[in-house]
This record gives sequence, structure tokens and C-alpha cells, in this order.
Amino acid sequence: MVELAELTQRREPREREPGTPRRSPAPAGRRLARYREGAVTFGLLAPSVLLYTVMTVVPVGVAVYLSLTDWNGFSDAVFIGFENYLHLFDDPSSSRAWYVTAAIAVSGTVLMIGGGLVYALLLKERSRTNSFFRTLAYYPHVISALILGFLWAAILGTNGAVNSTLQRFGIGPIGFLFEEQLALISLIGVIVWAGFGFNVVLFIAALQTVPAELLEAAAIDGATRHQTNMRVVIPMISPVITVATVLNLIGLIKTYDLVVSLTGGGPAGATQTYSFLILARSFEGTKVGYANAQAVFLMVVCAALALLVTAVRNRQDRAATG
Amino acid sequence: MVVHTQTEPGRRRGIVRPVMLTLLFLAMTVPVYLLVVNSFKTQEDILNNPFSLPVGDLTLDYLWAAVNSPQYNVIGGYGFTLFLVVVVDVLCILLAGPAAYVIARSLKRRTQLVLLYFLAGTFIPAAALVIPVIYVLRSVGLANTVTGLVAHDVASTLPVSIFLFVGFIRTIPVSIDQAAMIDGAGRLRTFWTIVFPLMRPAVVTVLILNSIGIWNDFVSPQILLSPGSGRYTVTTAIYAGISQYSTDLTKVFPNLLLAVAPVVIFFVYMQRHIISGLTVGAVKG
Repeated sequence: MVELAELTQRREPREREPGTPRRSPAPAGRRLARYREGAVTFGLLAPSVLLYTVMTVVPVGVAVYLSLTDWNGFSDAVFIGFENYLHLFDDPSSSRAWYVTAAIAVSGTVLMIGGGLVYALLLKERSRTNSFFRTLAYYPHVISALILGFLWAAILGTNGAVNSTLQRFGIGPIGFLFEEQLALISLIGVIVWAGFGFNVVLFIAALQTVPAELLEAAAIDGATRHQTNMRVVIPMISPVITVATVLNLIGLIKTYDLVVSLTGGGPAGATQTYSFLILARSFEGTKVGYANAQAVFLMVVCAALALLVTAVRNRQDRAATG
Repeated sequence: MVVHTQTEPGRRRGIVRPVMLTLLFLAMTVPVYLLVVNSFKTQEDILNNPFSLPVGDLTLDYLWAAVNSPQYNVIGGYGFTLFLVVVVDVLCILLAGPAAYVIARSLKRRTQLVLLYFLAGTFIPAAALVIPVIYVLRSVGLANTVTGLVAHDVASTLPVSIFLFVGFIRTIPVSIDQAAMIDGAGRLRTFWTIVFPLMRPAVVTVLILNSIGIWNDFVSPQILLSPGSGRYTVTTAIYAGISQYSTDLTKVFPNLLLAVAPVVIFFVYMQRHIISGLTVGAVKG
């Protein structure tokens, strides 16, 4: 820290002593050095900032502007103020997409956190078997969600592996992807299948920070394994659980690829998420302004959740440092 | 005494654990098993005996057909996707490295605000952003070009990469930089020759995170690169191919197998790095 302070002090301009001539060579030299320093800083930062601004921040601005217009993508955009936003909740397909997105986000998060915790507790000890099962739980995380969706569609479809086996016992076919309620349940099931392994790994990392003395103390006090887990281990890692909850929520609110490949949003829009709806609308090409209002709304929700993570983490940091 | 308290719950766990692990094993392996065995069967065989091993009537015809398919070729997609991954990775490191270095080593408030500015980007949903990106690309003349897609992909990797780099550079003592500067190295040179080699773990994490992200990305190549461009990534080739032949399972399974194979091989080979890298990325991002 001392070194850091010295380094910055060296960079700071020194006060001009009273009475020295304004254009004395020494300060001019220093000023030149300072400009050069600033130019180097700027040169190192500028390319990233520029690219990020043009490709991320400007598009957000474009989305906000378009959301205030009535535009079909071809003719002139008409500025209509907040009218698009007023329709976000009285348009049936939009509000249904919210219901679907919220159902996926909430139930997916609950199941993934629950499953993640159960398997993290089962697999926390270091052993060859456990690391095999950890890897097994985790592998879908590296495969594209689009591909996982197509694979499960081939398994759960009308003539997929599950239904053709059931039919041999005289059952079905069951419309895992073709009945409205069931399709949403299937979608959530595949999401949880693909995502819970990540929570397992996250929680195992957290469990390894629980001090062994605490577990010994609980054992000496005669606590059963279940009691130890519920009263000692889970409270100890609750900060990680909180962060994982919000991260899962944010991740699931963006669900798009899996919907495209597993159900295509169907049947009859029963599995259309908000992300899916925005892109589908934009490509019909008739309601670009409205689709952008939905996009802006989705960004606001994600930003609100993001602020929540930051607040939670800050509180934890403060708690950790006293 | 400790042994005594543990016998009872230990025995109960003795039943729960095998049951839970068997369930996990089945849930995670059966889909892959189906994917593999059905890639070597006829349509009739897939429909009638999806779970059977193709021992007697194994056929390589469909897999071979998928490898050689002239339309939406997945193997062809490997090349373009790999090209994207490499170009985006290199550009991301070249841009994010120096920027993170400046942010990590500066105590000025406005430099710290730049970090926050980047961080805001980590929470913008891709589906919400990609449509306005089209308009921006159109206005700079890069709509439907590989350059436009690369620009968007690099920009999307910058926030998390810079964030992870800044965190890591702050753990490297400043006295190392000072020594280099006293020896006459400029800041850029100090970064690339002294600091960057020390950042190996962070660089590996960022490379893995970005590579998997770009390889698996579907929204941006699908929307920023129209089918007319003739360029297909693995995911857009799969999408174009399978949405056309979704009932022909002899096309579905072999194509999916081809799409999954390189990722799974890469994962098995690098799994320790990948798991720790992605976990760090998620917790920090």
C-alpha cells in the first residue's frame, strides 16, 4: 500500500511554488510528462472502451429510442412516447411470456439450488468416485443449450425413446412437448438437468471453507449428520447460497436457446419466454418498436437483479470484514 | 466417541447415497447413451429399439452421411466456429489485458468508474441487445459480415474478462512493475513482458470462459450473420439442418453427435481447468 501511494504521488502534479516564473522549463517538462502519461493511459483504455461503447452501450440507447416509437422496420418511425410500455401488461402474449419466464426462473432456481445442495453434501469429500460424479453432473454446462434442447426433443418427442418404450407397455404416447402444462414442466426439467451440476460445484467449493473444528464440535455434541448439515453447514455457506440464487435467477430470465430447440415456444405459445418473444416479434418485423420496449423492460429487470447481487455481496463483505 | 456418534447416521447414509448416486448416474448418462447408440441405427431401429446396442446391425452410413452432408455441414461448421473462437480470444486478450492493467494500477476515481461502466455490460441479456446491434452494424456498414459478428463477440467478452483480469492484477505486487519501469520499460512493455506472464491462471480462465461461450453461442451468429452469407457455425448449422429434418432421426442423432463430440473431448481433457474457470467466472461475473 505504501508503494502504491508513492507511485501515485509521483504521478500527481506538484504545486507550483509561489514566485516561480510561469513558463519555467522544469514544470513544463513535468507537464509534458504528465500529458504523455495521460496519453498512454488513454491509449491503453481507449480501444476496449470504444468497442464496448459502440457494440453494447450504443445498442442499449438504440433500443431505448426504438422503444419510444411505432415502427414496422420499413417505413418512417413515429415517435409515440411511452405508449409501447403501457401495453406490456395488457397484451396477452406478453403477459403470458412473463408468466412462463417467471415460472422457469423461480422453479428452476429452487430446484437447482436444492439439487445442488443435496449433491454437494453427498459429493463434498475428496475421492475418485466423487470427482467422477461431480464431472458427470457438470458436463451439460459446456454443451450448447441449443444442442441439448434438440437432444431432449428427440428423446421426449412423440416417437422419441421415452414414448416408444412406454408404448410397449401400453402407455401413452405422452405429450411431453405437445401438451401445454407438460411442455413447460419438460422445459424446466431439462433446464434443471443441464444447470444443477454447476450449483453442485459451486456449493462444494463453499463447503470446503467450513472449518473442520465446527463439524467436530457438532459431532462431540452428539448432532446427527442431518442436524449438522441443517444447523451448522448450511448456515455457514448461506452467503454463497444467496449469491447462487440471484445468479440462477438472472441466468434463467434470459432463457432462449433451449426454448428454440426443445419446444420452439409451443404448443400454442405455452413455453414462449420473454427473450424468445422479443426475437420472434422482431423477426415478424411488424412491431420493432414494441419488441424493443420489451427488450428494455427485460434489461431493467436484469439490472435490478444485478443491483440486488451487488447489494448482497457488499453486505457480506462488510460482515466479513467486521 | 466420535466413531460412536457417527455409526447411526452413517448407516442411514449407506442407503441414501447409493440410491442418489444411481439416480444421478442414470439421469446424466442415459441421454448421452441414447445419442451415441442411435447415431448408428436405421430410423426403424431407432423408433422400435431406442435403447438397444447396435451390435449386429450397426451402420456407419448415417454418420458418414452427416459428415459429408453438403447442406448445413456440422464438420464444415467446426472450421468457422474455431476461427471465430481464436480470433475473438486473441482480440479479447489484446484489448482487455492493457485496459485491465491501467484500471488495476490506477487509484483515480474516474478510472474506477470505467470498471463499473464495463461491469454494467455483464447483465445485459443477449436476446434484448442483438436486435439493436443489427441497426448499429448496419450504420457502420458491417451488417451481415464476419467482421461485424467478431466485433460484437469481442465486445461481449470484454466485461467479464476485464473484471477477472483487474481482480488478478491487483494481487500482483506493484514493486514488480516499478522495478521494470526503473529499468526503462514503458507501461505497455511492462505489462506484456512482466505482468502478463504472471497472469497465467487468469488468462487460462478467461480463454476457457470465452472459448466455450463463443463455441456454444447461437443467438449472435444466427441473427448477425444471415443464412445468405453462407457462413455456418456449429450451432447455426445444427439449427438449420435439424429444424428441416426433425422427424428424420437418422439425421438428428448423427448430427448432434458430431456437434457434441469435440466439446466433450475438450471437456474430458481439460475438465479440472474448465470447472474451476467457469465457477470463478460465474462467481465474479
